[in-house]
Amino acid sequence: MTQATTSPSWERLRDPSFWADWTAAVALVLLIIGFSIASPVFLTLGNIQALLLAAAILVVLTIGQTYVILTGGIDLSVASILTLGSVVLGQAYSRGWGIGVACLLAIVTGTLVGLINGLVIAKGKITDFIVTLGSLSAASGAALVLSNGRPVQIADPFLLRLATGRLGPIGYFVILAAIVAIIAHFVLFHSRFGTHLLATGGDTEAARAMGINTDRIKITAYIISGCLAGIAGVLLTARVGAAEPASNTSFLLNSVAAVVLGGVSLFGGRGTVIGPVVGALLLTALVNGLTLLAVSQFYQPLAVGIVVVLAALLMRYQQ
Amino acid sequence: MGKIRRGLGGTSLLLAVIMAIAACAAPQRTTSDTDGDQAGGTDTGGTTQPVAAVIKGLDNPFFQTMQQGIEEQAETTGTEVTVQAANSLGDTTGQADRVQTLAGQDYGCFIINPITQTNLVQPLVQVANAGKYIVNIDSPIGEEAAQAANLEISTYIGTDNVQAGRLAAEEMARLLPEGGDVALIGGVAGDATSQARLEGFQQGIPDNIRIVQTIAADWERQRALTAAGDILRARPDLAGFFVANDDMGLGVVRALADVGRQGEVKVISVDGLQDAIRAVQEGTLSATVAQYPYAIGAMGMEACQAAMAGETLPENVTAPVVVVNQSNADQALESFPRPFAEYEDPFADLLGQQ
Repeated sequence: MTQATTSPSWERLRDPSFWADWTAAVALVLLIIGFSIASPVFLTLGNIQALLLAAAILVVLTIGQTYVILTGGIDLSVASILTLGSVVLGQAYSRGWGIGVACLLAIVTGTLVGLINGLVIAKGKITDFIVTLGSLSAASGAALVLSNGRPVQIADPFLLRLATGRLGPIGYFVILAAIVAIIAHFVLFHSRFGTHLLATGGDTEAARAMGINTDRIKITAYIISGCLAGIAGVLLTARVGAAEPASNTSFLLNSVAAVVLGGVSLFGGRGTVIGPVVGALLLTALVNGLTLLAVSQFYQPLAVGIVVVLAALLMRYQQ
Repeated sequence: MGKIRRGLGGTSLLLAVIMAIAACAAPQRTTSDTDGDQAGGTDTGGTTQPVAAVIKGLDNPFFQTMQQGIEEQAETTGTEVTVQAANSLGDTTGQADRVQTLAGQDYGCFIINPITQTNLVQPLVQVANAGKYIVNIDSPIGEEAAQAANLEISTYIGTDNVQAGRLAAEEMARLLPEGGDVALIGGVAGDATSQARLEGFQQGIPDNIRIVQTIAADWERQRALTAAGDILRARPDLAGFFVANDDMGLGVVRALADVGRQGEVKVISVDGLQDAIRAVQEGTLSATVAQYPYAIGAMGMEACQAAMAGETLPENVTAPVVVVNQSNADQALESFPRPFAEYEDPFADLLGQQ
């Protein structure tokens, strides 16, 4: 696995594949150096806190996406599930069911959509691309139907505390995202399920021949992705203080970009959790820095695109 | 055989599901004239042909209010109306397909709110050739494209987004008599509406207020929130934000609340949504430039009714735009979604003359 590459031997640094494995981290360090020279605000505590807070939602989504992509699939519905989860929360809350129930319902909804995705893909033997493309549309449609297209303002003290509260210098959002990342890392590399997941993604036929129930592994991966998207929906609602049915398309593209930047193979079976997390931080830091520097709105998407493609080029050297 | 039967079973299941969804959705899509009597139509009930309206995405309260305006005005005279919308603000071809589908049916007049200047020109040619009226509302159909396709538009009821931006600038000047730095938060970079609003603001702002930065937040509240936080850290002495729509404006308000600077940094946005007017009332949002989609929709319907009754329509009509600030927020909220002030409505006069 790519984890082993941390050995401090200088020989490794001459190996292009070392750089390829740590593309996102290298790019992030370069970016931090560049931005901190250009803007005095970038490396201040306040900005770093805000940056991590802004990245938390994307990090949670990206981890789910990572699991799915590790099986060799892709989940195009993450952003729609996030929207649906947020809307379910809003509707439940406005009916007076209490914030706890509302949050739980949002997460359950996400998990259910993930389960449906997984079942159709694994049992129906339909390409993941098509299935999740379908649920992308269906979930955002369901969000519109449920909410009747109207946003709901949510001024709940619990959600407000979740969004703005801190434990020491670190926001609750960030702690939550970190916990999710740590659990995801340990499940992937220190559990039987993780090993089976990587095996399924690496070579499904071989994995099945070894007696791994690959269908179940795939379904579980989509459930995890759906559940995390539901959690991200709760976080989004807390952050903006409203549940909106409007699509959050940038989250989908960014989650896939973060996974790819994180060195996870789109063909499955190879990758880490920390890589995509750093990828998500990289994408957030990029927008944060460009905003601090007041780079024109027209140049920002261009800059993001160039960074993604450059990182992908660097990754060609992956072994 | 088994395979065929299974295939048939699957197909009929699919059909059943589609029918079920259609059945659920049907009452929402059309208002028939059944409750026209209750509404107590004051105008003549001479119009018999139904009206079709195709507007932008319905996932935004702005267009829902527009739909409400169209439907309620239709009810007053018992005109039958179908309101269709694109899936989202980016669904240009989907919107064209809807017009295409409706063009072949028996509608006497089309209310059209195109996503871009040209995306509906092609299917509308068919509508015009059949001798039906086209009433263009909100965003204009491109003049050149219309001329090239020989497309005749009965009237254009426009939202002047540049004017909205200019009004916001005047309000900002009033709020910041000493001047100061302001940042602009737009929708999708290059979007015509966003561009026009920002442009109007730039034109209307006095010399002592400096525009230091323009950001595209893609009409997403969360993006606006993050961007506003970033900008505030880079420029702690920033005096105000101009935001291209209310949804993003409320995101900026949230960013200010997070750092405890609500009310201190001025925020002005555009649209006049209910939530935004409430925020103005609470003093968290400084002002919103209300464009009254309800009035736009209602005027579009009136124009159709007048056209079908044989009246000659004025070529260009501008929909009302009003600044809602603390002084009039109560009033604005009370009459919502209708404008609280009198506005010019030549179509109502035409209908009244009958």
